[in-house]
Amino acid sequence: MDMAFDALDGVSDEALLVAYGNGDMAAARALTARLTPRVLGYATRLLGGDRAEAEDVAQEAMLRLWKQAGEWRQGEAKVTTWLYRVVTNLCTDRRRRARGVALDQVPEPEDGAPGAEARMQDRARAAALDDALAGLPDRQRQAVVLRHIEGLSNPEIAAVMDIGVEAVESLTARGKRALAAALAPRREELGYEDDR
Amino acid sequence: MRMTDKRPLSDAELDGLFAASRRAAPAPSDDLMARVLGDAAEAAAPAAVPAPRRAGRRGLLAQIGGWPAAAGLAAAAVAGLAIGLWQPEALDDLTGGYLASAAGYEIEDLLPSYGDLLGEG
Repeated sequence: MDMAFDALDGVSDEALLVAYGNGDMAAARALTARLTPRVLGYATRLLGGDRAEAEDVAQEAMLRLWKQAGEWRQGEAKVTTWLYRVVTNLCTDRRRRARGVALDQVPEPEDGAPGAEARMQDRARAAALDDALAGLPDRQRQAVVLRHIEGLSNPEIAAVMDIGVEAVESLTARGKRALAAALAPRREELGYEDDR
Repeated sequence: MRMTDKRPLSDAELDGLFAASRRAAPAPSDDLMARVLGDAAEAAAPAAVPAPRRAGRRGLLAQIGGWPAAAGLAAAAVAGLAIGLWQPEALDDLTGGYLASAAGYEIEDLLPSYGDLLGEG
């Protein structure tokens, strides 16, 4: 018997996944609404803003989650940690295959609505960040995105990337330094004053 | 374009970019959400939609274990009949002569009208 959709807000991802594994499709709908945006956002950043590729990765990662549901044991792992790891690996594979293909062929979205200016600046900043992220070594990019955009804690990132917490700290620090340097020439374009 | 031309971005400026990236995060299209849910339904199919129970022949089949079991049952029945018809001598070992020799029976005693047909086998 399916639970009511809005009754699932306080239920953990892990409990929902087990419920789905037992045939509860309301749990699947709640998980889809909760997790697909995160998975897609993370994949988009790892893939340098390539939306179509990121959608493929998101669908594939969620499919793997569905297939895993029957064997999921509550308390073993966090669903999000597991998903981030799957997405990380899928994106690494795709970048390896697509190396040499330009990553910044994303069409600019059109926008004429009120508030469009702020959104355009957000988009310009996000696009510049994507460019700079694409120039980082894979592991640095993954650590920086997980820490500063996805908002994961260092121990969580360590679990996703299968490395120690110290290694996470080192990767994020080096990644941020490289981003700060790479973006310096684009300061004005990003709307920051060059007050030197 | 040399990176050393300009002062690196400050932490606060970088944080501004991270925040912008979060705000500009792509919303999943309806199509993607539908595909993901479709996958969920497909992957769950065996567990979520149990086959309806059917009465009658299929119900009986299911109770004895499906077609393989039914085939085994049929094979055993045929083998039993064949052994009984063609090798009644084996019974003499068991009865040890207390009963009339099983070999004394002919096919015709059991199935008079089919005796010619079966006897040739």
